[in-house]
Amino acid sequence: MTATTQQALPVASGRETAREVWRLSRGHRLRLAAVAGLGIVSAAVDLIGPVAAGFLVDRVQTGTAGLGTVLTVATTMAVAAVLGAAGTAATIVLATRAYHAILAALREQLVARALTLPQHRVERAGTGDLISRSSDDVTAVADAAPAVIPVVTVTAFTIVVSLGGLAALEWPYAAAFAVVLPVYVLAMRWYLRTGPPVYRAERAAMSARAQQILESQRGYATVLGFGLTEQRHRAVMAASWGVAVQSLRARTVQSMLNARLNVGECLSLAAVLVVGFVLIEGGTSTVGAATTAMLLVLRLLGPVNQLLFVIDTLQSALASLSRMIGVATIPADAAAGPSPAGAAAGPSPAPGAGTSVRLHEVAFSYDDGPLVLDAVTLDIGSGERVAVVGASGAGKTTLATVIAGIHPPDAGTVARPERTAVITQEVHVFAGSLRDNLTLAAPDATDREIEDAMETTGSAGLFDLLPDGLDSVVGAGGHPLTDAQAQQLALARLLLADPDLAILDEATAEAGSAHAGLLDRATDAALAGRTGLVIAHRLSQAAACDRIVVMEHGRITEEGTHDELLSAHGIYARLWEAWDSRRGSA
Amino acid sequence: MNTPPAVPPFEVGVDERPRRFVARVIFSLPRVTIPAMLLAIVWQVGESAVPVVMGLAIDRALATGNAGQLGLWLGVLAALYIALTAAAGLSLRLTAHAVQLLQHRIRGTLSIGVLHPSGGAAHAPDGGVVSVMTNDVARLSNAVILVIIPVSRIMAIGFIAASLLVTHWLLGLVVLIGAPVAVWLMGVLSGRLSRDTREYQALLASTVGQATDLVAGYRVVKGVRAEAEATRRYRQASRLTLVGATRNAGLLGRFLMGSGVVSGTFVAAVMGLAGWFAVDGQLSIGGLITAVGLAQALLPQIQAIASISIPNLANARAAAAHILDVLRDKATSTPKTTNTGVREITALPALEVSASGATIRVEPGELVGVRAGDKTAARLVEALLDPRAGGGETRLDGVAARELSPAEFRSRVTVAPHRATLFSGTLRDNVAVTAGAPERVDAAVRAAACDDFAPDLDVPAGEGGNRLSGGQRQRIALARALASDAPVLVLHDPTTAVDAVTEHAIAGRLRGARAGRSTLLIASAPALLAACDRVVDLLGEEPALDRTALDKSVFDKPGTP
Repeated sequence: MTATTQQALPVASGRETAREVWRLSRGHRLRLAAVAGLGIVSAAVDLIGPVAAGFLVDRVQTGTAGLGTVLTVATTMAVAAVLGAAGTAATIVLATRAYHAILAALREQLVARALTLPQHRVERAGTGDLISRSSDDVTAVADAAPAVIPVVTVTAFTIVVSLGGLAALEWPYAAAFAVVLPVYVLAMRWYLRTGPPVYRAERAAMSARAQQILESQRGYATVLGFGLTEQRHRAVMAASWGVAVQSLRARTVQSMLNARLNVGECLSLAAVLVVGFVLIEGGTSTVGAATTAMLLVLRLLGPVNQLLFVIDTLQSALASLSRMIGVATIPADAAAGPSPAGAAAGPSPAPGAGTSVRLHEVAFSYDDGPLVLDAVTLDIGSGERVAVVGASGAGKTTLATVIAGIHPPDAGTVARPERTAVITQEVHVFAGSLRDNLTLAAPDATDREIEDAMETTGSAGLFDLLPDGLDSVVGAGGHPLTDAQAQQLALARLLLADPDLAILDEATAEAGSAHAGLLDRATDAALAGRTGLVIAHRLSQAAACDRIVVMEHGRITEEGTHDELLSAHGIYARLWEAWDSRRGSA
Repeated sequence: MNTPPAVPPFEVGVDERPRRFVARVIFSLPRVTIPAMLLAIVWQVGESAVPVVMGLAIDRALATGNAGQLGLWLGVLAALYIALTAAAGLSLRLTAHAVQLLQHRIRGTLSIGVLHPSGGAAHAPDGGVVSVMTNDVARLSNAVILVIIPVSRIMAIGFIAASLLVTHWLLGLVVLIGAPVAVWLMGVLSGRLSRDTREYQALLASTVGQATDLVAGYRVVKGVRAEAEATRRYRQASRLTLVGATRNAGLLGRFLMGSGVVSGTFVAAVMGLAGWFAVDGQLSIGGLITAVGLAQALLPQIQAIASISIPNLANARAAAAHILDVLRDKATSTPKTTNTGVREITALPALEVSASGATIRVEPGELVGVRAGDKTAARLVEALLDPRAGGGETRLDGVAARELSPAEFRSRVTVAPHRATLFSGTLRDNVAVTAGAPERVDAAVRAAACDDFAPDLDVPAGEGGNRLSGGQRQRIALARALASDAPVLVLHDPTTAVDAVTEHAIAGRLRGARAGRSTLLIASAPALLAACDRVVDLLGEEPALDRTALDKSVFDKPGTP
């Protein structure tokens, strides 16, 4: 369990991200083209208002306006507003729907790929990385939608069309606006340099805070039992204020960006006045044109500010997207990585009749660490039940993972049946109904079969506690199960999965209480009729097996039946003596 | 700024209403919110004045060709921007400060009241408390913005109406009547949208939660080869969320369409009216340009109130209701303090605990083992964790523990519960959490047989101790209990995840580690019980197959599904 050098899961490059998004957009491309068309048209329609207003000012000034002119202008403005609003709404709806459809396809691909990755690869990277990609990153991309979509569609089109309109109608004003552009470029560069680290620090402080609260909640009994109330309160409050400090920094950065944008606004408007003054003096422009230009520039400023404000959201959404795509596009065949020389893993070599598992001279080490398994040779006959006994660090769990195919061996060969199931010490109850938990490995199991499996593994007593029977919600947010109950469920699940080889790695270790006997019987029932490998925790479990293997420092040091090992007076005999005599006296 | 400010918790009565609580929260910081509000008014009125200044500049300078006027109006524009930028900056910072102070204070209220109650009840708050203490606290605190920004926006609308009144009385009147109607209409539209958005967000959260759940149970899924089935289930949830997202996008479109029509026609009407007055000669050309600019400035204010402030208030009320629920749930179960302090308890008192009909006595310096069924064991531990709870009875030197102050009781009795939780930090931080001298830590680490994997205690334990295996976690937790050197230590099944060989070693070292102290060991491991001075076997009284013993753990509470 020592921290190995982490082989992180891949992150897609910009080009790979773009290629994958393009591939996923298949089926939505027509919609996306409509978004672009509609976006440009509605941005253009939005120009009608300011132009009409300028027209009205000119007509009033020249005294050529009548009631008809006013009515026409007002009606035009109203119609343009309605059309513009409809176009904008349609653009955003279409874009949002395409965005979410593509995201849904991507997150499904991500989870499907994550679950089919070779387990050793995930173990090395840590499941934490995978959890963060399938939760935090998915949420980040989904939450970015309301901020990013209007900006990359409507706002961007508004800026382009307003600038284009300004250039077409009153090009000198557009030129004046271009002069102010460097102010915006500088503001953006400053923000992209300053903003992201500040936001990262804020998010880090937030997760530290959540962690402190979670630890106090999970460790409630410990906090109470050790009298740590005051200490934990202080830790939570320190983390709380830690977020406050970072958030205030982040808001300060935003208000500094705001100030820079205001400089740009002020200069843009001043430029309109100066250019308008010179042009009207020269007789090449009218007061109405200046009004139009002023309204167009005012209309531009909002979107430009919005664009700059969401740039960092856009950036972090893109980062999350490339982390998701990095996992979702790991190729299926290359995923296993180069197989170590001389090692033939997998169920391919038939171990021969009557033999279920065959290990030959297997060696294994985590990365470049010391050998955890050293020249292990072991045959397990069909239907045989073998126990592995040894101290912590003897290599029991590693042996189980190598036999299960979770880790390919560095040297030697492993053969096992195709249908192999493993129950690890780590019990996990999935959030959902009891039925969902049990049918995970046997989707077609009937309620009758499920109930039989629960009866066989002694977990039918759960029905007395769960009023809704198989429909009762268990796991996170549902009815909490004790570790012993969770293990019984795991055994029932195993029974339903009906594998040829079942590997139980300390599957009943947690049951240190009075229910050990109950779980031993459940284990017995779950293993009946199949080959079993039991990483024994209590020696009573080992004694019930056909054969016992004792491990020390990665090697098998003793092997035989319970009686054989007792008469051999080795390590096992000594352990048994201590265990048995104490059990008797208690 | 880096040390947390001392803030008193909010006093919350049992009959506190969410509405009133929101009001109390947002009016609790007048020293910050009033200056922030005044500055925000300068900022928002300043923003609205920009088109007015531009209109006047076009009228006075551009229409007349007067260079002096141009210079003057450029100066006015610059001054206006300096004033509104400065006011905005200060106001935003004060607002952020108010939000953070309130968050901190409400969080402190929940921390003392629910997460770390000083009396200490044995029932833990459920996992939902994390979300209440982060999301709901943030939503409620954001309501303070309501007494700052919307006030300034309303003032800005008032300013626009007043400016139009000066230009022409009817224009001002139209805005004074029309603006509230527009805000109301858009508020209705945005209300429906934000309700649906909350629904969609809950869907998204559950899909994301499912992915987390599946990946957290990765080894289980792989262990039974259930990859395809797990993927199918996730896809099902993901599709459901997509349907929600699609529906939400439709409602967003309806809101955009509706608010665009309302605001667009409103502005067109103001424009038409102003145009007619200009044609009619009641309004100067400058007045017309100003009216056009003002009508434009009206839009963002109306939209912001409708789409930001109204949902903000709704969110705050919902959050306040959650927070009050959590606080009340705890308020009823926290007993009143009854500190008599009449009788002295010795430094190493005799312990007597009874629950489920069994009574166990531990004389000073004794190491007593108890073999009990799950349910009885849980009752005993509960009675020791929270002597004020109804279940059992705990006595120190013959004095009922419920009459002692929690601090006095805890200074004598330390309970190491079975579900050992490690805190983030190094292994040493965890072991030394209640230890006095550093050599105690080393002795405890040896006694708990952690020396094989923890030669260096200064490595991080990981979140919740996830860098360690189950057995290693349990041994560090045992070391923590032994290092506390408590006069009376209660251990509950401390070695269930530890292998037989190591358990044997621990059993041999336990007595030495607790020499001169009292220890109550509730366990079923033969090796551990064999190391005790005497063993009380309660198992005969309760059949091992008792189904009631499969009842949920005392430290768990059914969460809200």
